[in-house]
Amino acid sequence: MLEEQFPGLRTKVHGKPLVYLDNAATAQRPQVVLDAINDYYQNHNANIHRGVHSLSESATELYEQARVSMAQLINAPSEKDLIFVRGCTEGVNLVAQTFVRERVKAGDEILISHLEHHSNIVPWQILCEQTGAVLKVIPMNQEGELVLDDLDQLINNKTCFMSVVHVSNSLGTINPIKELVKAAHDKGVPVLVDGAQAAPHIKVDVQDLNCDFYTVSGHKMYGPTGSGVLYGKTEHLAAMPPYHGGGEMISKVTFDSTTYNAVPAKFEAGTPNIAGGIGLGAAAEFLLSIGLDRIAARDQHLKAYTEAALNQVAGLRIIGNAAKKSPVFSFVIDGIHAHDIGTIIDHHGVAIRTGHHCTMPIFQYFNLAGTCRASLSFYNTEQDVDVLIESLNKAIAMFA
Amino acid sequence: MSDLDQLYKETILAHNRNPHNYGKPEAWTHHAEGVNAMCGDLVQIYLSIEADRLKSVHYAGESCAISMASASMMTELSEGLSVSEWRLRFEQFKQLMNINNHDCTYEELGQANTLVTVKKFPSRIKSATLCWYAVDAAIRGLPTATTE
Repeated sequence: MLEEQFPGLRTKVHGKPLVYLDNAATAQRPQVVLDAINDYYQNHNANIHRGVHSLSESATELYEQARVSMAQLINAPSEKDLIFVRGCTEGVNLVAQTFVRERVKAGDEILISHLEHHSNIVPWQILCEQTGAVLKVIPMNQEGELVLDDLDQLINNKTCFMSVVHVSNSLGTINPIKELVKAAHDKGVPVLVDGAQAAPHIKVDVQDLNCDFYTVSGHKMYGPTGSGVLYGKTEHLAAMPPYHGGGEMISKVTFDSTTYNAVPAKFEAGTPNIAGGIGLGAAAEFLLSIGLDRIAARDQHLKAYTEAALNQVAGLRIIGNAAKKSPVFSFVIDGIHAHDIGTIIDHHGVAIRTGHHCTMPIFQYFNLAGTCRASLSFYNTEQDVDVLIESLNKAIAMFA
Repeated sequence: MSDLDQLYKETILAHNRNPHNYGKPEAWTHHAEGVNAMCGDLVQIYLSIEADRLKSVHYAGESCAISMASASMMTELSEGLSVSEWRLRFEQFKQLMNINNHDCTYEELGQANTLVTVKKFPSRIKSATLCWYAVDAAIRGLPTATTE
């Protein structure tokens, strides 16, 4: 059984078995990831890309193998197209402050969507402040789907860059990325895709999507916190200026000038999160060994079960009903605030997220301060959903 | 009584159902909003201060039961107090909600003493204190109070 490979799931909360439904915030880690991290610290602990001693060589090999595994997971043409980052937030900021900052002029437009996480809004607002560029937003509808009717006007001759989320963390909506990339490319606009919520659920193929950049957070896909990758097309990464300066990203330094290292080292200044990178590689191999097709099938089953169960709860309304969505359910219950629900069901062992989920504009659209969000993983069971429903009914009874 | 039942005891649920002094009044002299950055809660505080005395205290906004009940009780405790008396009451409430103070209650805080159980839920303490900080901001002429 897959869930048995996740020691974190055996935790008890308030004396009750944990029902972990906060996977969109961060996933639990499988034993293989914990072992990979431990193995590095216990048996290969050394800095990478530096020493000639055996430990440094084996640590470097493990770290670089992780890059290969991540490239395989998202079907990048080469592992050299992957930069290790702390997560999607850093991936977006890196692209904003290097690739886009180089080419953007005052009055140019940066296009994002209404479904973005704050991490794919704020870096662009900062760039706009720095450069006089203007932020534009692809709208959404009541179902939580992007409205693409006016895409032709939204992508115009002022559009400098597009950055869109693959799967919404708040509503679960799966965006038509291939279509969006094609529309942008038809007008010569490069595209970054925020894949934080996609990587644990969907078979990502950056070559098929044909996006210019794609970023993934390790901790959402069963890997360590503070790990992730940014994929970029080879020609972009080669032309981009560095993001951070320091060791490792150089090939020669004098006080007069510095020659930068080749990609991806050019973007990886300083000693990186070595254990995190190695753990991330183990997570990628874990996902590949299960198979993303199997995970997608499991997701669809859990989604249908959860949706039907939630719809039986009196006064409960699901926010976001996209035709294509991952097993993420934002919901509100008449007369009970999300935080009260979160506190009450926590006492029954159920962990969900409450609030705005770092997507305030989505809830401004729905005129809500926030929601409860149950986000499922393949390791969740129908019984987990039953406990959720039972605990929600207890909260409703308490407030009756 | 379980911790949970103590948190959502009837006094608190009753104030949540029928909050006192809830809604934007027709007139006020001082206004501030309270923001809980972690959860996005927003409360609006409207005061009428005459001759250094809080003649009326109203609040509006959508927030959790703890926050609603605390604000409802706070308005009742605050009305009619002079600004300096209110500040003493605020200090008492802060002490009541101080996680390092065990078993401290204050006669002057009346029903608000029931909120002492919130201390068992550290992530919810700010829900109870936000409205008080917002009144403090309004009195000081500040537009916003945060619980950070």
